[in-house]
Amino acid sequence: MELEQKRKIIMGMSFILLAGLMIVGYFEGKRHFPDGRPAPIIDSRNKKCVGCHTEADNAKTVGEQWKLSVHAQKGVGCLDCHEAKEGEDSDGFSHYKNFIATIVTPKDCARCHKKEFEQFQASAHSTARKIIDGSEEDFLSRVVQGHAKYGDASTVSGCDQCHGSKVEFLRDEAGEIALDKNGIVQLDPKTWPNTGMGRINPDGSMGSCAACHNRHMFSSAQARQPENCAKCHRGPTHPHDELYAESKHGINYRAHKDELNLNKRKWIVGVDYTAAPTCSTCHMSATPNQEITHNVGDKLSWVLRDPVSMKIDEKEKSLGKNGLPAKKRRENMADVCNQCHIKQYVRNYYTQLDNGIALYDNKYGIPAQKIMDTLKNEGLITKNIPFDDEIEWIYHDLWRGEGRRARMGVAMMGPAITQWEGFYELAQTFYNEFVPAVRKVIEDGKRRGKSSGASKAQALLNSIMNSAEHKWYSGQIDEKTKAELKK
Amino acid sequence: MLAKIKTSVSGWLKESLPVDPEIFKEASAEPIPNHMKKWWFALGGSPAILFGVQLLTGILLAFYYIPDPDSAYDSVAKITNEVSFGWFIRSIHKWSAHFMVFAVIVHLMRVFFTGAFRKPRELNWMIGVGLMITTMMFGFTGYSLIYEQISYWAAVVGAEVAASVPFIGEDIARFMKGGESVGANTLTRFYVLHIGVLPTVIFMLLGLHFYLIRTIGVTELEFKVDKNKEKKTFPFFPDHIYTETIVALVITIILVFMALTFPAQMGDRANPFQTPDHIKPEWFFYPMFRLLKLLSELGAILGTTVFVLLLLFWPFVDRLFIKKNPNSNATIWFGIAGVTILVAFTIWEALV
Repeated sequence: MELEQKRKIIMGMSFILLAGLMIVGYFEGKRHFPDGRPAPIIDSRNKKCVGCHTEADNAKTVGEQWKLSVHAQKGVGCLDCHEAKEGEDSDGFSHYKNFIATIVTPKDCARCHKKEFEQFQASAHSTARKIIDGSEEDFLSRVVQGHAKYGDASTVSGCDQCHGSKVEFLRDEAGEIALDKNGIVQLDPKTWPNTGMGRINPDGSMGSCAACHNRHMFSSAQARQPENCAKCHRGPTHPHDELYAESKHGINYRAHKDELNLNKRKWIVGVDYTAAPTCSTCHMSATPNQEITHNVGDKLSWVLRDPVSMKIDEKEKSLGKNGLPAKKRRENMADVCNQCHIKQYVRNYYTQLDNGIALYDNKYGIPAQKIMDTLKNEGLITKNIPFDDEIEWIYHDLWRGEGRRARMGVAMMGPAITQWEGFYELAQTFYNEFVPAVRKVIEDGKRRGKSSGASKAQALLNSIMNSAEHKWYSGQIDEKTKAELKK
Repeated sequence: MLAKIKTSVSGWLKESLPVDPEIFKEASAEPIPNHMKKWWFALGGSPAILFGVQLLTGILLAFYYIPDPDSAYDSVAKITNEVSFGWFIRSIHKWSAHFMVFAVIVHLMRVFFTGAFRKPRELNWMIGVGLMITTMMFGFTGYSLIYEQISYWAAVVGAEVAASVPFIGEDIARFMKGGESVGANTLTRFYVLHIGVLPTVIFMLLGLHFYLIRTIGVTELEFKVDKNKEKKTFPFFPDHIYTETIVALVITIILVFMALTFPAQMGDRANPFQTPDHIKPEWFFYPMFRLLKLLSELGAILGTTVFVLLLLFWPFVDRLFIKKNPNSNATIWFGIAGVTILVAFTIWEALV
């Protein structure tokens, strides 16, 4: 055999060996870390923390959960997040020779996750506490439902757990922050434990990353699942979870959850998964054309939580904020939709959404708001104390309950809730409860000598009930509708 | 002035080191046959380069490693997670070990397929096979030192295999383990073997290997393109050194790339009371491990022994073929079949 041929044999055999070893490396690598999870990196700074906090009766799961986290695999340990600065962090305390804080704030997370921090701080999520501070909702929760004597129980365990608390400390007699016998800073139980989305932290930052990224595993896969958002986005006044569940999106999610590759790093819709969208897919996650965003408003064009709907950019302007134009945000969302739906589908969906919102606003929201303003301005009901008049409860249910369900139902494609818990109950409340209550207030006003105000309110009510949307109620049905009814 | 200093320094050197400088000149001018300009024929130096890397990184790792069952895993974790560049040194050591075995096998294949083991180089071939076995022993003992679950159980299996050797197996296994089970004594023994005994053996074998290469010379192979060349050789220095430097640089790049991309990590701590789902030795023992699963333990031992003996004494087996037919290609076909079977067994073992 020629030497040239032998050379080729040596090369061929070497490559076969190398290729074989690469196959071996691939399979054995998977076996060495069966769940793709290398062992945690516990450096000398964190060794002691992990040592104690993996023991029974000492928050054992904290350490064990951390060991399973990506943080642990990358060597991001306890002190990287919990370390505090003396003189700067008011909640800092000395703990086994380290100066630490119990609460990890978004500012702490921003040491590594700066972009996410900035996006989150600009979002409505981070202001969830601020927007209800001193609001009618706050009054409802603290005064109407509860009482300060009982530690604001309904607010602390209800609203604040989603909207966030303003974290406060227990104080000693001298007004200094109280410490326990181990020197640990004592947080006010009225304000902590709390992982509310808009929590106001001792360092001034807003929010809590743990609201979505549960401690101490900080799993992306967990944050991407709708159950994560459902801690807060459910119930009669914001039934997003229920709406998602009955939508085609939610049905597909339940049927194909295992095919979603939830652990993928970037998790791009249409690339890493195609089986179903979750809340995160539409509102936050990446598409082939967009990066992931931690500002949940970046793809929303409407604000549907108020008595009357508003375009999101107008709403933000009214709050002194300056975000993306609503049109651009709608384009962002349409880009997500287009990964699964054709353009006409998306265009027509948005027409359906805008029509649904216009129906609510023009038939119920705006007229009811005008009436309530008139009743208050004319002194027919008290102006400064919410919920002390029966009609205020009815109005509250009208816009915050049925009104939101109808609008959000259209937006999230949940037909049953849109119809029976939305528009049907909206009409029922409007005609059977709200209008009779308005009439009663007007009659009461007349009896109390407020005849001028009562007349103004009556005139407004008459004009609303004689409008194209409501005149059917007094038998004024046009011929076309009559003909349609006969079919 | 400079000339004066030079003369006095060289005079001092001649007096204090009575070695004729001509020896160095002669050694560096060693003629190297033209075929060694071909990359595939210049890889013999790569195991030596990798051994140098192992030696250097191994010394650095030994500064921190503690060969005690209670501390071994923690000390490796400390090297990986805390010591400055510890993870890098450990990763280089790990990858260099893998590459060293690979390079030895590739070098062995080159010698085998070109028949470079033939007379008068039979003994050097046998030394080469000895170097390969020593390299594998390095891998086996070093892997067990990490004392993580998978490496601990690889040592257990290794000892069990040794125990199945007829007549003396039990004694060998007990000697390896330093008792009835893998524990503190085993770790000390493996450590002494890894950093003391095996390096001594490999130095001796390498010395002999190089000595024989120099005294007998390498087999001169002639490619067609070189046939008409007047000069049949080129000097060791600087030409061959230059080639080897390039090989060393390429190896360094690959090692650094692998260390950065796939750094050595920590598995679970060894637990003698919990048998893991998958017990595997290092990849170079896979063919034997596969044989173990296909045949009985004794069958695997016999099969491996026959294979090693055949490899060791192949120059004499080859002589029988050549005697029958001077142009026989039997060695090449046996080689192809052998490598194919070994690679197939290795992949098979990885897949199950």
